[in-house]
Amino acid sequence: MRLKKVFAIAIASAALISSAWGQATTRIGVITSLTGSQAAFGEAHKNGYSIALDEINAKGGVLGKKLELDFYDDQSKPDQAVQGVSKLVDQDQVPMLLGSYSSESTKAIVPAVAQRETPLIIPTATADNVMDSKSPWIFRICAGANDYAKATIGFLKANGAPKTMAIVYENTNFGQSNMKAMTAAAKEAGINLVAVESYEAKSPDYKAVLQRVKQANPEVIYFCSYLLDATTLMRQSREVDLNPKYYTSAGTGFAAAEFPTEKGAGKNADFTFSVSQWLPSAKWAGSKEFDAEYFKRFNSHPQYHAMQAYAALKVAAQAINNAKSLDPAKIRDAIKNIDLASTSFGHVKFDSGQNQHPVLITQIQNGQYRVVFPADAAESKPIIPAPAWSKR
Amino acid sequence: MIRFFQACADGLLTGALYALIGMGLALIFGVMRIVNFAHGAFLMVGMYATYVLFDTFKLNPYIGFLPAGLALFLFGWLIYLVLIRPVRDRSHFMQILMTTGIGLILTDSAQLIFKADYRQTNIDLINRSVHIGPFGANAAEVLSFAIAIAFVAGLYFFVARSLTGQALRAISQSPEVAPLMGINLTRIQGFSFALGIALAGVAGGLLLPRLYLFPGVGEDYTTKAFVMVVLGGMGSIEGAALGGLVLGLSESLTSLYAGNQWALIVDFILFLLVLSFKPSGIFGRQRA
Repeated sequence: MRLKKVFAIAIASAALISSAWGQATTRIGVITSLTGSQAAFGEAHKNGYSIALDEINAKGGVLGKKLELDFYDDQSKPDQAVQGVSKLVDQDQVPMLLGSYSSESTKAIVPAVAQRETPLIIPTATADNVMDSKSPWIFRICAGANDYAKATIGFLKANGAPKTMAIVYENTNFGQSNMKAMTAAAKEAGINLVAVESYEAKSPDYKAVLQRVKQANPEVIYFCSYLLDATTLMRQSREVDLNPKYYTSAGTGFAAAEFPTEKGAGKNADFTFSVSQWLPSAKWAGSKEFDAEYFKRFNSHPQYHAMQAYAALKVAAQAINNAKSLDPAKIRDAIKNIDLASTSFGHVKFDSGQNQHPVLITQIQNGQYRVVFPADAAESKPIIPAPAWSKR
Repeated sequence: MIRFFQACADGLLTGALYALIGMGLALIFGVMRIVNFAHGAFLMVGMYATYVLFDTFKLNPYIGFLPAGLALFLFGWLIYLVLIRPVRDRSHFMQILMTTGIGLILTDSAQLIFKADYRQTNIDLINRSVHIGPFGANAAEVLSFAIAIAFVAGLYFFVARSLTGQALRAISQSPEVAPLMGINLTRIQGFSFALGIALAGVAGGLLLPRLYLFPGVGEDYTTKAFVMVVLGGMGSIEGAALGGLVLGLSESLTSLYAGNQWALIVDFILFLLVLSFKPSGIFGRQRA
């Protein structure tokens, strides 16, 4: 009995000491996928966060203290992401969270975060069900699956108005959610869905899936894929000689910096379309500077995932400064009231937790992402149809 | 019709590798009556061994699988001596716990050493295809098919013809009497366990160029190997090889006609059907 008491006192004093130590800096918790199948995106996150962190600290940090990030690697697994919430909020007592990377992991952490009444800014998860909880603690800075589907349909209507489409999606939350959004959008636009095929991202033999799509002979294919599967899908599309007029996609793998390079699909990536939320050439002030800084540090050009992480942290720091407090409820209210007209990620303002963000369409031409839609942002004309594999 | 034959060809290309995995498990089961629940984990170790050779020495996986297989052979023998032999005469329950535990430790060690990252070898061959008439196949898959078939045939003749093969079959038929006839039980069991593990390692090396490599990659293969062994009749080596081909075909045809998400389900339906109606396996042989 006495031993128990001694233990309790020891633990309590250890906790006091550690929280007192924590006062020297301000910490924000970050959950992302530093390892596992989505490590390429987790790394983009980390790079984006680190640039934002240095900028914030160069300008005096938050609440006059140095800002620090408390990273938790979810290993690209939803259960690990939930453990991250517990570690960061219960143990490290961070006042707010950013994360995770994937829609699957993000959906898993939403209830845990809402229950702990800690504000969360979601940087990249596009599945719209991550916002289903309507919890006042959850904010999302990126556009979602419905916006992706609408932008893609808008682009198709303005460029040849095809009549048939096949959807090929990976069967976790990200793929399912984008498949549903596109199914609804295509129906509304009068496009006939001739095939809807799911696959498991980790078993890389999609040839049977692609054969089924080939049989259905669609004009458009809409892929909802991560990076490794996007790479294999394009290679195997070549193998089965699948030749739709348009290869379109819900971004992500098809929008990753590695995708058009030798580390990804290389030449097979050419002519694919993708939605995008930001590019180095975006018209928003600060985009070019972010691109230059990113290139200087990491020797590659950033894609939108890095920018979303960067923007999410900048918004978080701004909100804490506005709240003048580390009290989670006050930070939440500050995020709610944020209205930043000109950031490098465009206008940031949360409406019921969701930032209204425009979606661009890009095409890979000669290994480079080029904006082709909407017209006022376009850098190049889209190349349609994609040349048959035998003619490439 | 072309699609049907194409899917059959794709199924056999995969099936030959399955055959290699299934034969390893059947060999261990046949000689020792131990179900190796770590089989997929050993396959994963073979993949990482081949990967390390590729990554550090730029050794093509289609050469690297040989030293990797040899390393797995020695590793398998060591595991047999240290961990399997002590539970040789214990209950099946103990043996299942032991092999499952070995599998978990291997997977977690890989996670510790290599992190949860997905890796790819991206060799030139994987981007080439071979065309025969209206049919096409990935060049890397054709090469691994040819190597796998050579190993399957080699193992079959080894077990059927060689003196060691006879000893293997003798022990599998009667583990009590065979030692009385002058067969060294420990040596033959150690050899067959090591050989079974080496086959898993070889299969891992051959699978490397076409799979993503991560610590959990082997998990599916343990269950698949188990299905093959049951399809082919418990413990029959040639049965397991045929079971592997059947599994490859069934997955490919199911994916084509019903969709990718049905492939694993059909695997297990086949498994349950064979267990309930023809427990001696679809080819009807009881053991090697």
